[in-house]
Amino acid sequence: MGWFDVKIISEHFGVPEAKDIGWFEGKGGYRSAKKAISMGPDAIHAEVKASNLRGRGGAGFPTGMKWGFVPKDAETVYLVVNADESEPGTFKDRHILFWNPHLLIEGIICAAVALRVKSAFIYIRGEMGREYQVLQKAVDQAYAKGYLGKRIFGSDIDLDLTIYRGLGAYICGEETALLSSLEGGRGWPRLKPPFPAVKGLWGQPTIVNNVETLANVPWILEHGGKAFSDLGVGRSGGLRIVSVCGHVNKPGVFELPLSVTGRQLVEEICGGVRGGRKVKGIIPGGVSMPVLSADELDVPFEFDALQTDTRIRECEVKPGVKFDLGGGKSLRTMAGSGGVVVMDEQTDMTQACWRIAHFFAEESCGQCTPCREGTGWLASVAHRVAFGHGKPGDIELMASISDGIAGNTICALGDAAAWPTLAFLTKYRDEFEAKVRSASVSGPFKAGSAGLGAA
Amino acid sequence: MPGKELSSQIEARIQELWPRFPEGRAGKALCLPVLYLAQEEHGYIDDAIVDAVAARLGLTAAHVSGVATFYFMLNKRPLGRFHLQICTNIGCQLLGAYDVFDRCKRRLGVVNKGTSTDGKVTLTEVECLAACGWGPVAQIAESGREIPLYFENLTAERIDAILDALEQGRVPLELGG
Repeated sequence: MGWFDVKIISEHFGVPEAKDIGWFEGKGGYRSAKKAISMGPDAIHAEVKASNLRGRGGAGFPTGMKWGFVPKDAETVYLVVNADESEPGTFKDRHILFWNPHLLIEGIICAAVALRVKSAFIYIRGEMGREYQVLQKAVDQAYAKGYLGKRIFGSDIDLDLTIYRGLGAYICGEETALLSSLEGGRGWPRLKPPFPAVKGLWGQPTIVNNVETLANVPWILEHGGKAFSDLGVGRSGGLRIVSVCGHVNKPGVFELPLSVTGRQLVEEICGGVRGGRKVKGIIPGGVSMPVLSADELDVPFEFDALQTDTRIRECEVKPGVKFDLGGGKSLRTMAGSGGVVVMDEQTDMTQACWRIAHFFAEESCGQCTPCREGTGWLASVAHRVAFGHGKPGDIELMASISDGIAGNTICALGDAAAWPTLAFLTKYRDEFEAKVRSASVSGPFKAGSAGLGAA
Repeated sequence: MPGKELSSQIEARIQELWPRFPEGRAGKALCLPVLYLAQEEHGYIDDAIVDAVAARLGLTAAHVSGVATFYFMLNKRPLGRFHLQICTNIGCQLLGAYDVFDRCKRRLGVVNKGTSTDGKVTLTEVECLAACGWGPVAQIAESGREIPLYFENLTAERIDAILDALEQGRVPLELGG
């Protein structure tokens, strides 16, 4: 199978010994960390820039460029690792944390040297008790070896690494909310600018990077930025870890070339759809991202392609009226977090849409009115449509609520609730209309009755 | 409300973590970890714990209470001995999580966030646990103490076996993955 020839992060997935620092070093582990110290900040940064590494948390922002936003004269810089993986459908970082904790630590050391960081934090999702224990043990081993702490690897560089556990809040995966939480408060997102790279944790320049992003850095330093870039497609370097769930025969976590399409992913990597059924839709990168319908699966799951390929339909606020992402840009979909959800032909898309809306209503932090109120209303209307109590006008109402939330909030959670809803309504409108039609004839809620709050 | 004091174990952890944070920031930064440790000992967060944490870390009770009410994993009321959490988010939903969740509700005779009359099991519907490939997924805690295992691929038979074990007073670790 040609897909699996190169592995950057997943090589030791499934190997219990990889959690041990001695075993990991025997396989070449921590070589890049040592190399980083001899290279120095500018050379590391240059390789990461050349690698075209893009953030693997969801936004796909170029990592080298992000690092470059830290003011050159900054005295204190923090590195914060976003290990708060909670985007529904996504389970790749948990895999890395559990199977390959030392690779992450090595990546942190490389990044910390590049950014002149003396204190780094891993913000790990609270629910990940098993992964926390594995990671803490790995950190303790690295301290015992002198790879963390004072004068790491015998150099004059000090680096502390502290694990900080979240306590159950999806919003803390948003980088500014994460910083609010790490400072000991509610996980409330902050307005950007200022961006964390300029003013982040405790007001100091702070780089927040995802687990998978940092786990790629040791390979980049070992093989060079160009080699990493060459593995990729266009402006996106390296491979991509995707987690696939839903109605496939072989769900799981896979490290793949960025050229892989949705169809290849389902049919070749995941052994097809369960029961020999057909695909109805695929969410390409966590539930925040617009769903792809069965005829949109030949586009590579790459950051730029998913945003711009014209084979993917633009999301609409009503038939024939494109949703405006800002500045006239249209919304197709995005690669997001790599959390792929496969839905077969028997899936009730109205119920899938409701469950996603319900999730965002549960997880809205409550700061911004459009999101706090809008996600709740959206979930209520989506629920009554999905469960047979829909009323004429409900589909238009869902689209209008979504359009009212999108772009009007501090952070992207509002968009994340709006976008998938608009995509479901755009691509499976018939199904929603049929639900409403059958409800208005036989459902217990007649048009005009007070039906909100059906959830 | 009787006053509560933080245990010596929590105090030791505070001492250990304090130097990791910059001057003047540690008290607030330790709010989450200390609340979680207190919950592991007491099972849930009440006003007395809020006051104790606030006093020890030099924070207002309003701040600590605000944090305690924001985070889902901090319990604001006593739970049963076992806390059974079922994910119903999309990956699990597609694989039948609501059937599993409804079965739990019926067998325990509770609604979401309810505790069985014998006080043994509290049932909670939770959001995505990042184990979507092997859904439906459950997480179980025992009296505030987390069990570092997920229970995956839940079917009617598997959830019945889990519920049987919980009724017998034990977490079926052998069914975890």
